[in-house]
Amino acid sequence: MLIREAQRGNRAAFEELVRHYDQAVLRLALHLTGTEQDAQDVYQDAFLKAYKNIGNFRFECSFYTWIYRIVTNLCLDHLRKRNVRKEDAPVAKDASGGEYDLLDQVADVRAGANPERDLLRRQLGARIAGALEKLTPRERMVFELKHYHGLKLRTVGEILKTTEETAKNTLFRATQKLRGALADMR
Amino acid sequence: MKCEWVRENIVLQVYGELADDARYELEQHVARCADCAAELKAEQEFHALLAQDRAADPLLTDPSPNLLAASRMRLQEALETAKQGSFWSRLAFDPANWLLQMKFSPTLAAAILIIGFLGGVGTMREISRPTTTAALPNTPTPTPVPTEASITGISSIVQEPGTNQISIKYNTVSTQEAQGSLNDQKIQQLLLYAARNNYNTGVRFDSVDLLAQKSGDTQVREALIYALQNDTNPGVRLKSIGALGNYVKDDTNVRDAVLRALVNDTNSGVRIEALRLIEPVKADGSVRGVLMALAAKDQSTYIKSQARTMLAQLPEID
Repeated sequence: MLIREAQRGNRAAFEELVRHYDQAVLRLALHLTGTEQDAQDVYQDAFLKAYKNIGNFRFECSFYTWIYRIVTNLCLDHLRKRNVRKEDAPVAKDASGGEYDLLDQVADVRAGANPERDLLRRQLGARIAGALEKLTPRERMVFELKHYHGLKLRTVGEILKTTEETAKNTLFRATQKLRGALADMR
Repeated sequence: MKCEWVRENIVLQVYGELADDARYELEQHVARCADCAAELKAEQEFHALLAQDRAADPLLTDPSPNLLAASRMRLQEALETAKQGSFWSRLAFDPANWLLQMKFSPTLAAAILIIGFLGGVGTMREISRPTTTAALPNTPTPTPVPTEASITGISSIVQEPGTNQISIKYNTVSTQEAQGSLNDQKIQQLLLYAARNNYNTGVRFDSVDLLAQKSGDTQVREALIYALQNDTNPGVRLKSIGALGNYVKDDTNVRDAVLRALVNDTNSGVRIEALRLIEPVKADGSVRGVLMALAAKDQSTYIKSQARTMLAQLPEID
């Protein structure tokens, strides 16, 4: 009903639709882009695109899948662009040769009561972030949607306009690469 | 069963994506094969490692309410100027859908015919029925309490001089007006909405000005903190920080927000007001840390010297 209203140009209905999905969208964008500014840009572009094209939505898939398709495409573009300009990032190499972002190492002024544990947590976080960066944009996306958002692989396939089987294979490759990169952490 | 198949499907097993029969077969195989059992254990350990990081990483939790509200506000402003694709452009750019829809044409024609027939019968009955509603007295309908989702914008806020009556014009699909005192729940709801979401600076300023009278309320204080941190207009931020002044001592959220404004705000008036407000709590550890940073390298000479003066008044820490 809300979708029909939004398709008729009712902005209030569209904004209500936005409120149903925007927290999940922002969370996905925040984790994939890594900064609040970039996440806000993806959020903005995704919903503006949805607003302009909602007339083309034909109920052939769920609205959830449709909106996620828009967001994941924007995030994939973002990841591809970031891969191109990665050389400029303030990265360093750790003992095992893995790259990590120097900005992640800046001390948090509100660190917890146990500095040693906090340091280990930060190192683990930096290593996992570094390993995720090594995945191809598509592997990263499948892993993100499956592992962090808990979506079924069939839904992941629908969102990325591919088959469940391909999503399975991509997930397998992604976890193999991650396990290899983080083998010494276990 | 081949070990290769098991290893390819262990990841699906861990994510609960295997069908019941395949899962049963995999479990049977793992019970017999030491190599595959080790592989399953390694996969589970890898997931435990990720879960450990997930619990600690703020990026993996839900975005903060402030970030969400700021994103919504930005989107709302952009939607003001955005236009939806027209009906004709949809036809022009999506010929595949024409073909798809042609498949349903006979059904659609039959449905239109039935609806037309039923509509005609209904209209005839309506015309032939004697009209009685016109004689009813014209009773006013109560204004429904607006829900945040149905409000598209607030166009004006006016307080009648010498009274506690506030008049707010707000838009849903069409403009509506609500009246009441500051204690009225509907009025408070609209003011909170205006402080966070409106694109008109004057309206945001008026709402923050009125909310300042209710800063004892936690929800109102959150809205004032939001305005202090996110509003683009320095006047609105200054009004918000003034309203929060009484709570710097007792409310740590307010204190943190004031400290953030002191460090990050682009307007020197807001920063100087923040510096004045933290004076009573300058002995607090977090405040002292900020003062030391400002005293060392702030761009504003006034703030740098004030921070030094405040630090000099504090007892030394061993």
